[in-house]
Amino acid sequence: MSVEFTDESLEPVEFKSSWKRERSVAEQGCQTRDVYTNNVEVQSHEKFDQGVQTDYGGDSYESADSDSQALAEFLHRVEPMVMQCLNRNLKSKAFDGILDQRDSGLESITCMHTLHNAELQEKMQVTDLSWNATGSTLAATFGRFDHEDWCTHPAVLCTWNLDRRSVKEDKPDTIIDSPCCLMCLEFHPVNPAWIAGGNFNGEVILWDLSQNDDLVLASSGIGDDAHREPVSKVHWIKSHSSKRRDYNIVSVSSDGKVLVWKVDMKKGRLKLSKGFVVMSQSLPRTMKVRGIRGDKEVGVTSLSFSHEDSDLFVLGSESGCIFKCNLHAKGSPAGSHLISSVPLCSPVSFTFNPHHGPVHSVDCSRFHRNAFLTAGMDQSIRIYNMLQAQPALTIEPGEGYLFSAQWSPVRPAVLAAVTEKGNLLLYDLRTGHMVPTHKLEASPNKVPVYSMQFNPQMKQILATGDGQGYIRVFRLSEAFTAMSGRDVEVLEEMMGSGKD
Amino acid sequence: MAAEVEETLKRIQGHRGVTGTIVVNSEGIPIKTTLDNSTTVQYASLIHSLTAKARSTVRDIDPSNDLKFLRIRSRKNEIMCAPVRTDMKGNINILMHILILFLS
Repeated sequence: MSVEFTDESLEPVEFKSSWKRERSVAEQGCQTRDVYTNNVEVQSHEKFDQGVQTDYGGDSYESADSDSQALAEFLHRVEPMVMQCLNRNLKSKAFDGILDQRDSGLESITCMHTLHNAELQEKMQVTDLSWNATGSTLAATFGRFDHEDWCTHPAVLCTWNLDRRSVKEDKPDTIIDSPCCLMCLEFHPVNPAWIAGGNFNGEVILWDLSQNDDLVLASSGIGDDAHREPVSKVHWIKSHSSKRRDYNIVSVSSDGKVLVWKVDMKKGRLKLSKGFVVMSQSLPRTMKVRGIRGDKEVGVTSLSFSHEDSDLFVLGSESGCIFKCNLHAKGSPAGSHLISSVPLCSPVSFTFNPHHGPVHSVDCSRFHRNAFLTAGMDQSIRIYNMLQAQPALTIEPGEGYLFSAQWSPVRPAVLAAVTEKGNLLLYDLRTGHMVPTHKLEASPNKVPVYSMQFNPQMKQILATGDGQGYIRVFRLSEAFTAMSGRDVEVLEEMMGSGKD
Repeated sequence: MAAEVEETLKRIQGHRGVTGTIVVNSEGIPIKTTLDNSTTVQYASLIHSLTAKARSTVRDIDPSNDLKFLRIRSRKNEIMCAPVRTDMKGNINILMHILILFLS
């Protein structure tokens, strides 16, 4: 039996997938519309330049238009009543006792800061202090008062902003270097960044703290027009000639000259606009030495302008004399040995009874037109009346030389002085005693205190500067910062004017 | 007329103890002042509203009555306010000028 294998074809079997489905495909058309682009030229072709700046608005102030007729009628009706009330007010004793019951919030005087410049290593003296227009920044000049020959001290001007949250007491915010000693400075009365200062060489300099690199804005230079001796005081005054709010700088020096400088911003120079010279012919007869010519200069050490009459000022001199002067004075002309581009004449209109030594400080009262105080090397503080040669009051603290004294800007009968023994003395004339109501240590190491300045804006603040470069900032108690009505009367009584 | 106004104001200002004078019109806008701008504006608006308040208090209590004078004695100084109607017909609320004095 043979087995034969043959091919066999089997019927294919077909079965559908149970897990895959057939896919159907359909075609569909879709398209976004054509994007059309256009090219169009656009350009602004005309330009305009417009300068915009805010100007100092200042005091110019327009009040509402008023019906003059109605106003006159109103005033006519109201005047008798007001006058009657005012008269009754003067006689009233209703509020006399109230002053003594004031709430005692801050009784004590506290020292807020002791500032110094660590780099100077206590070698420099604080020659002058000044607060800026806003009362936040204190500037100080460092130099030395004792020179035997040329000044080679590397002096500086430093500023501290005391409104900052963290005041670095040993590191000033700004430091301006100077090749020779700086003797005095004063901030501009309106612009908080400008400082005028004077140095040992007789140069008057104007700095702008807001500049970045070169802070010197203008300078008087050294020459015939400038001072020949150290500048002892600089002061800003309102300029008379123009209607604009310009300020001029007045500088005084130990060469006897009183110079008025105009700021010339374009040339960066201070231009001499007026000059005076104090001469020995103005000295009282007892102080004149026979054989000395009348046109010898008298060194000026201090200056203060009256707050009532902007032309009137008082000068303190090295001879101890105090002179009443006027900016419009035309006294006898200076001797021919003085060379100057403007004619120099004597500004003196009256000479007061002199101190027995150089006068270091004069200050006119803000509250009484005739009152001013002086302090000097003869260890006395004197209060003068502009109209009398003899002092109205003499205080002798017995604390050595007095280097600076000032009236309080708030209380008419309060004055402060700094002494050789390193103390700050505060006097309240209302108490009637000639002993200081407060005596504070203004110098950490009890060296002489050379400068002092009340803050005219923040009236409770007072700064002092000593012979080792330490500056102390004090906050006065409320008794010294609150105005009281009786103060003016005390001062008026002292001036002998009583009721005017 | 203007000269007379100035004269009167000068007379009041010159009185002993007076440190400043402001005249405010019925809308509280200062017309005459001897103080600086910001102080004047501040005092004028504040005093004006205070005077109006005081006046309405007086008149609410007795409608036939009127405020004649307002004096504020503070710890530091004294302020005197004299509100006067300037029309004769007695029409209240119009033309009430106020004279404000500051005393040390």
